[in-house]
Amino acid sequence: MKMMRKLMASTHRISLALRLILVASIWVTLALIVAGFFLVKLFQDAGQKALDDRLDVHMTEILSAIARNPGKPFFAVVGRGEPRFSVPQSGWYWTVRLAEDPDIVLFDSPSLFSDQLNISSLDVNNTLSEDFHLSFKGPAGAQLRALARTVRFERRTSYLIVVAGSTQELGESISAFTNQATIMLVILGLGLILAIFIQVHFGLRPIRTLQRSLLDIRKGQAETINDQMPRELQPLVHELNALVKSNRQIVERARAHVGNLAHALKTPLAVIMNETRSQSDDVTVKVHEQTLLMNEQIKRYLEKARMAAQRRVVGVACPVEPVCKSMAQTMKKIYRDKQIVFELNCNQQIAFRGERQDLQEILGNLLDNACKWCVEKVAVSAQIHGNTEEETFFWQLIVEDDGPGLSTELQQQALKRGKRLDENVPGSGLGLSILADLAEVYGGSIQLDTSRLGGLKVLMFLPMTVVQVTPNP
Amino acid sequence: MRLLVIEDDKDLNRQLAAALTDAGYVVDQAFDGEEGHFLGDTEPYDTIILDIGLPQMDGLSVLEKWRRDGRTMPVIILTARDRWSDKVAGIDAGADDYVAKPFHMEEVIARVRALVRRAAGLASNEITIGDIVLDLRTSKVTKDGLALKLTSLEYRLIAYLMHHKGRIVSRTELIEHLYDQDFDRDSNTIEVFVARLRKKVGAQFIETVRGLGYRVKELEHLEV
Repeated sequence: MKMMRKLMASTHRISLALRLILVASIWVTLALIVAGFFLVKLFQDAGQKALDDRLDVHMTEILSAIARNPGKPFFAVVGRGEPRFSVPQSGWYWTVRLAEDPDIVLFDSPSLFSDQLNISSLDVNNTLSEDFHLSFKGPAGAQLRALARTVRFERRTSYLIVVAGSTQELGESISAFTNQATIMLVILGLGLILAIFIQVHFGLRPIRTLQRSLLDIRKGQAETINDQMPRELQPLVHELNALVKSNRQIVERARAHVGNLAHALKTPLAVIMNETRSQSDDVTVKVHEQTLLMNEQIKRYLEKARMAAQRRVVGVACPVEPVCKSMAQTMKKIYRDKQIVFELNCNQQIAFRGERQDLQEILGNLLDNACKWCVEKVAVSAQIHGNTEEETFFWQLIVEDDGPGLSTELQQQALKRGKRLDENVPGSGLGLSILADLAEVYGGSIQLDTSRLGGLKVLMFLPMTVVQVTPNP
Repeated sequence: MRLLVIEDDKDLNRQLAAALTDAGYVVDQAFDGEEGHFLGDTEPYDTIILDIGLPQMDGLSVLEKWRRDGRTMPVIILTARDRWSDKVAGIDAGADDYVAKPFHMEEVIARVRALVRRAAGLASNEITIGDIVLDLRTSKVTKDGLALKLTSLEYRLIAYLMHHKGRIVSRTELIEHLYDQDFDRDSNTIEVFVARLRKKVGAQFIETVRGLGYRVKELEHLEV
């Protein structure tokens, strides 16, 4: 039982193609073997029937000779139809014997020469009512097929007539036929197995297409599975597309709820914060402190909830270059007093394998930080990192500024949650650590370094996919 | 300087209005999108503080409608949705700046001050004309280094004129920017305040351009 279960379990892993090919091949082989067997059998039967018919013709000829010349030797007349009756040991013989005592030979064909047919196995009674066929070894060891008949002429003697022919010819033609049939059937079998291969390959092609479509969705290169599929697969494609769509909707709903919650909580928080800010009694100071704490906590957990929602999204990607450009434009507007010069160097092929909103969040935080601290210059670079042939590959985002930068110690501290290095510039201190969290969610990473421009250099490695040829309208 | 605060939360609206009034601005209030849009469309505000989540018409729609109709006043959006995608949407809709909730009042005031200054084409937080210096951060006016004692209306009047130095400012424009919407526009209080102000900063500082309005002259035009 255990063995059976093990066997069943192992068959579950056999590929569909192998299953189809295996079953069809076994079936074709068996069918061809059985067909071959029956063909040979039919040919054999037909050959034997032809031999029997021929023996019957010769029997009739001998009978008519006996009827015409009773009691006389008639071998001279018999055998015109078959010359081999006259050739010694030709394999074709006849004998006429007394029915009462088959050992007494009346006439033999000349081909028997001095031999006799050994018909000792023959029971004469069997030959009384009808023809009797038998096989035995004849002179020179040849295998013979014989027809025996007992004939009684009115008020005369009963004769046992046996006509025998060699089965060698029949055997030879059967074996020749068997050989030819085997060759033909093997060729037919191989042809059929090849056809099965082609059929399985062609038949299963839509499944491979489906697999590729799903991979494209996971990579973010497609939004839905192409529904130009065979009728049998269409319900599956429909369901998969519905699943992908519902997945997106769940995320969008979750995001909307989180946004609503944020809005609902933050306005009262703003009111409390501002109401308690100018008061100096103990209770108000405490309330103010706790409100700030609540704000930090809300911000942190909202961000976590947003990230948890993102983890379930499959099949989204967004080209990097347009987002970089639009972010730089936004920053120019926000920091217009500074007249910042943006140096953009983005590979147009790169698409971020994730949500556009997350890319905006990443770039927004990075550029905002850079713009806050820069003197006049911010450089943004997006380049492919590593081998694009691998299933998951990354792009490298570098944002640099010409500001004061951070010491190595401060660089290490900056990525920790809630750490603010400078209280004078507006911001919650969550920027860089949010980036670290986002990078982690996407399986990427973040590093800080000193820029060639003199300020901070932030490097992020994020998953990418290649931008499709058709640009978004 | 006249501001409009559009925020549906009454407490927050009140706090903003109070803080901005304390900072020397005249503040009108609106509590929903439609009312806010109407006021912004019909009154000449120097800056508008606009919440995104408003009843009747959301903040972004209000802003987009203003911009479509050619209204160019500076707008700061208040948003609880503080992701960058929301901020970009706000800036793309035509906002000049954003403040994420919850915020400190000082931050809003600083941003309003920056926008008003920027709209007047000024680069610094100090406007100096002759011996008169207006410090926008402290809302103080000094003459020869000595602080002048000004009422809030006098401060608003001199600040508005100094923001638009060299330009003739009509009496109507002054009324529109120095008083809130409920003010009786036919009264002659402006003349009274200009006269009082001249006593404090010097008669030559504010020039009357007959039939047109008032002007604060650039340094080289001041008669000594």
